[in-house]
Amino acid sequence: MKLSNDNTVVDTPQVVGRYRVIPLIQEGASAASQTAKATADIQESLGLPGTLVDDWHDKAIARLGQLLKARRGLRVFMDTCTKCGACTDKCHYFLGTHDPKNMPVARQDLLRSVYRRYFTWAGRLFPWLVGARNLDKSLLQDWYTYFHQCSECRRCTVFCPKGIDTSEVTMAGREVLASIGLGQQYSQEIIGKVHSIGNNLGMKPRALADVLQSLEEDILEDTGVAVRLPLDDEGADMLVVTPSADFFAEPHVDGLIGYAKVLHQAGIRWTFSSEASEAANFALFTGQHDHMRDIALRIRHAAMGLGVKRIVIGECGHAWRVAYSFLDTLVGPMEFLSPEHPRAEHICEVTHQLLTQGIIQLDPSRNADVVVTYHDSCNVARGAGMGDIDGGQFKIPRALLAASVPKLVDMSADTTGQATFCCGGGGGLLTDDLMDVRIKGALPRAQALQAVVSSDQVTHLVAICAICKTQLTSVLPHHNLSDVQVTSLHHLVGDALVLT
Amino acid sequence: MQGYLNRLAVFDLLLGLALTVIVAWALLGTCFKLYQWASTPSPLPIPLTPAPRTRYGVVVRLLAEIVLFRALAKANRVTWLASVFFHYGLLFVLIMHVRFFFASIPSSLLPFIVWSGWAALAMLLGLCVLLIRRIVVDRYRYISTPSDYLHLLLLISIGLSGVALKRLWPVDTFGVGEFLRGALTLQWQALPDGVVLVVHLVLVLLLFFVFPISKLLHGVGIVFSPTLNERDTSARSSSKGKPSQ
Repeated sequence: MKLSNDNTVVDTPQVVGRYRVIPLIQEGASAASQTAKATADIQESLGLPGTLVDDWHDKAIARLGQLLKARRGLRVFMDTCTKCGACTDKCHYFLGTHDPKNMPVARQDLLRSVYRRYFTWAGRLFPWLVGARNLDKSLLQDWYTYFHQCSECRRCTVFCPKGIDTSEVTMAGREVLASIGLGQQYSQEIIGKVHSIGNNLGMKPRALADVLQSLEEDILEDTGVAVRLPLDDEGADMLVVTPSADFFAEPHVDGLIGYAKVLHQAGIRWTFSSEASEAANFALFTGQHDHMRDIALRIRHAAMGLGVKRIVIGECGHAWRVAYSFLDTLVGPMEFLSPEHPRAEHICEVTHQLLTQGIIQLDPSRNADVVVTYHDSCNVARGAGMGDIDGGQFKIPRALLAASVPKLVDMSADTTGQATFCCGGGGGLLTDDLMDVRIKGALPRAQALQAVVSSDQVTHLVAICAICKTQLTSVLPHHNLSDVQVTSLHHLVGDALVLT
Repeated sequence: MQGYLNRLAVFDLLLGLALTVIVAWALLGTCFKLYQWASTPSPLPIPLTPAPRTRYGVVVRLLAEIVLFRALAKANRVTWLASVFFHYGLLFVLIMHVRFFFASIPSSLLPFIVWSGWAALAMLLGLCVLLIRRIVVDRYRYISTPSDYLHLLLLISIGLSGVALKRLWPVDTFGVGEFLRGALTLQWQALPDGVVLVVHLVLVLLLFFVFPISKLLHGVGIVFSPTLNERDTSARSSSKGKPSQ
């Protein structure tokens, strides 16, 4: 037993089960792990009911009906599952908690059983035959519990013979819940802060300017080079939008310093924006498309206001999915961008291009004794691409690492690339009240990491996602991996960079 | 004409009438679902990446899933093998049944007729494995509803009665052909005698009946899965040139 930050008692899972051994199901094992419900003022500030509405049943069914008519994926996924079971052992939360409702198909069935009951003939006439259920209070409780034990990482989709995407089901479930007054405090509060202040942390422009200035002083002291971290620099060529954790938290901030060094060395005139001082878009997690559009719109607006020709996204997994896959649809076309860079770019793409063009040099000997393994973040791996090459999202970060450190080791192939395991904290779960689920959900990643620590003495785990970095930093000690340092890719790139 | 008015004859034709109605229901019902899926908007592109960049690439991806069950092969080898045995056994047997659409058997179908017994065996073997794993493995048992077992039992019963018709109680295949062609051209004929034949037909009709309102739709639904049928359109619009509008 161990005390977590918020003083609740948390079971520390001793790496349950052996590597790659599928556990037996244990009903209700994680039913008690609950994330706090959004308070009335948070809900109301987003135009949602403050508490559970009286006619929640009818409202929920009506909202589900609207979503079924508005999202083809949801409708098709409701109809085509054959319960083949291929996904049942693919979710890190199931492998970690053993709770059968964390099997992707069982999670979908929480919604599918309601879909069948209210929207199909078979379910209306023979509910017992096809697993159709009325939406009652106990099922609603299960929705809230288990749609907040899914990180929307889409690993199950890789193994689904029908291509069913559980994240779309989770998003729909959360969207319905929020619309009847049951939003999640963590995500909805953050969406509120982005709208009102501009970033997830609620960091005001003045504070941001101070932080950037002190970082400039730090870099000057460390390297003797005056590397700038400009804010709202009108006339810059490039806008960098990064997760706000990069501005102050370890190990994120080392990555931020890395971006600045690379862009400085390349002689690019770039800037942050106080209006769009946040790359994250938590409305992806909650399934609220209207908020997702509004949050994305800030980036377009800031880019146009500053007159930049390029938009670059920092190390943030889901922000990259939104930027890469959705930005054009949500707020495009970006006709003001330069024809050579017509879409938002990833900072890794930019650095990689500078490296291959010989504009920057990396010297791996500056990271002597560092042995790195790379954690593919789910949204980058399965929700986006990178560069012009197939699988660029796997190859480009590894190419940058290979050029920055003496030794790069890959974890087992069934836990990397497209089949990568989630860190256990994505999709709006990076909150202290879910610490138990987060620790258990990190199990498969921890096991794969343990294997390369034993075989190759890996010292650093690198990720390009703020959530992955925060989550892994806080949960790896629970898996006896506190010696592995979790860090940003651009931390190691920045340290290896030949800076003049 | 006299015969048609005979009550007994009408009873004889009932199965043929049912076949016509249920085939029409299955076709219309499936078309309705196709229309429903196709007409539902897909607001944001959600392909599972790395995704193909061209339409040709999407076709290849879908074919790999439909023909090879690629994702299932990655997920679970036992389920994959059982599925391959079942689906390809069924396909083989279905092709054999095309003989009934012709008054004289086309020679190209002869191998299918000769080997259909083995195909049926493969199909039954696959189905039995699928059923056993659903009962034995706790995870699969947990996610199964009565209809999941009944689908398998229905298919097994169809297979067994079909094998019985081929091996134990051979039927008047020419008469069966006349019955089928009659029902599909609205010139109904009586089904040749045989209890097992009636059982086989009724079970098949039940399968056709549930097709458009059950998980059997996955066969056509997979084509509509946005994670599989959408392209990675952003890849083309990266630093090397503008996307086509």
